[in-house]
Amino acid sequence: MNTMKLISFRWLTVVAVTMLLFAFYQAKDVEGEYRVITAKTSVEDLLIDLGKAPVSHYMDVYDSVLAQVGEQLIREGQANYGNHKGKRISSHFQCTDCHSLVKEGTLLTTIDPQQRLDYTQQHTMPFLPGSTLHGLYNRTDFYNDDYYKKYGSLVFDARNNLGNAIQLCAEYCASGRPLEDWELEAMLHYFKREELTLEELQLSSEELQLVQSAVQQNDHFKEQARAVVEEKYVRAYRATFTGAMPESDRKYGSEGNSENGKKIYEASCLYCHQNARVTYLDLDRDILSARYLWNNRKGYEDQSIYQVIRWGTYPKAGRRQYMPLYTEEKLSDQQLEDLMAYIKEQAGK
Amino acid sequence: MKRKKNIVTLVVLCSVFWGYGQSDTNLVSETFSTVHIVNGHSTETLKKRQWRYVIAHRFGDALGPAGGVQNAFGFDNASDIRFGFDLGITDQLMIGIGRLKGTATPYRSILEGFVKYRFLSQKRDNSMPISAAVTSTIFGTYMEASSDPTAVTSFPEFAHRIAYATQLTIARKFHPRISAAVLPTFVYRNLVDEFDQNALFSLGGAANIKVTKSLGLIAEYFHNFNQEGRREGLTNSLGLGLEWITNGHNFTINLTNARGFGELQYIALNDALWSEGQFRIGFTITRTFKY
Repeated sequence: MNTMKLISFRWLTVVAVTMLLFAFYQAKDVEGEYRVITAKTSVEDLLIDLGKAPVSHYMDVYDSVLAQVGEQLIREGQANYGNHKGKRISSHFQCTDCHSLVKEGTLLTTIDPQQRLDYTQQHTMPFLPGSTLHGLYNRTDFYNDDYYKKYGSLVFDARNNLGNAIQLCAEYCASGRPLEDWELEAMLHYFKREELTLEELQLSSEELQLVQSAVQQNDHFKEQARAVVEEKYVRAYRATFTGAMPESDRKYGSEGNSENGKKIYEASCLYCHQNARVTYLDLDRDILSARYLWNNRKGYEDQSIYQVIRWGTYPKAGRRQYMPLYTEEKLSDQQLEDLMAYIKEQAGK
Repeated sequence: MKRKKNIVTLVVLCSVFWGYGQSDTNLVSETFSTVHIVNGHSTETLKKRQWRYVIAHRFGDALGPAGGVQNAFGFDNASDIRFGFDLGITDQLMIGIGRLKGTATPYRSILEGFVKYRFLSQKRDNSMPISAAVTSTIFGTYMEASSDPTAVTSFPEFAHRIAYATQLTIARKFHPRISAAVLPTFVYRNLVDEFDQNALFSLGGAANIKVTKSLGLIAEYFHNFNQEGRREGLTNSLGLGLEWITNGHNFTINLTNARGFGELQYIALNDALWSEGQFRIGFTITRTFKY
């Protein structure tokens, strides 16, 4: 009899606790009918509320330990995690050799190469060939447009899948190896941690009001609000490979701004080549480096600035050190002439 | 025979900054083009996660009785051959091993291992006007011991096969085209004959003149001191070289009166004279990789 009473009491307790939990869940649900907009609101989550389909790499929350491991992989090219002892992803590069981790313009939509150069100069940042990894989580397309010309069919699986895009970058762009599952996971958690938040979009008060209103179940405004938010950042960077400038079009610096060229030389060329930090080719601000680049300016060999900036050199997975290219969106033809004007000046020509 | 048995302690002169990391953009680079000048060590080291192999060759006398047309100006003979493997531990610390044929006067089949540490790096703003590196090298021959008990190659004990060298290289790049270095060097051999000395001191001087980014001229001279009691005919080494550098490769062709590689040979045992036509053509080829 006593045993029966005890069992009944236990059942009652379980039922009571379950009801309490259910009530709490319901209460949360009622409270969470619409998202409360704050400065730190996730842009991706907000867009989902506004009716957008989640990005393919969507995750609810990030794991802070994994995100930290991901950051180490990105900054240092190697990390350990739990029982996993990491090996270097690439003997040649780490992500930050080609990609910045912060925004590269006053606005998240800044794509003009001269505006980007001015911004990076103001903030003492390198001027790199790769798109910034800031806001990568919020992007939908990768290896767009002309990247097919360099990587062929490898880009197909990477264009709509961030994980595959990272793997392509690790193995081919960085001439390294494919990431282990935990390494890829760690990077994705890092990118989730660094996703865009509402405050970064710099919405006007009217736009913010529109978004708030749309989020509050006002279906009429959802599409409009979504468009407003999506206009505030780059979801897919365009990539135009111009190829080496034909010799007949080259001005060899005669119509370039050497002062601007100096900025490019120091923030781009020297970022990798000074003291042969990334490559074996050691460049400096001296006359020997300038003469080397000047004397090789003609033709279509890798030693010509006109060639190597637009085509880079060719990667071989896990093997060869190579140079990535600058697309037209990352460095304009005028900037290329500016760079050549500086080299000409330094070479005493 | 004067025999001395000593254990020379190799001293690691400075603590090693394992996490030194990436290059400081204030540092002056390419004071010399590669790890060696002609025979001596420059202040250059391999960077962290770089390794390279080295193939170096010294032909026979270009002129004189052993050279000339009959010997294709020395190309018929090899006075010494070195195969080496070097490894960058940090950007300032490297190690290397090598196998030397040896000149057979008196050593053959020599193994060499060295540790080099650059403890000063010249800075662009002149807050550090020089670069300095110390290289400690150990030599050991595994040649068959001579049955003649008076020969220096009789090796009564294993330690007699061993010799040491410590070289300090102090260098400065004065101009994008011009660098120079002084190289005080100490060589110690555990076993020498009665007309020799165990401990020797030599002072080297070297210069590098860059003609273009990838082409340079180098010169190097070692003057030996404390020669009292040593046999006559020992000479100082003088080398001139032409360097050609491409990405990851280095090719040096040189003329030197030093017959052998390593401080054990080019400082302690050299007896060739330029004035007698006893200089030779040599080359060094290196290829650097990253791991």
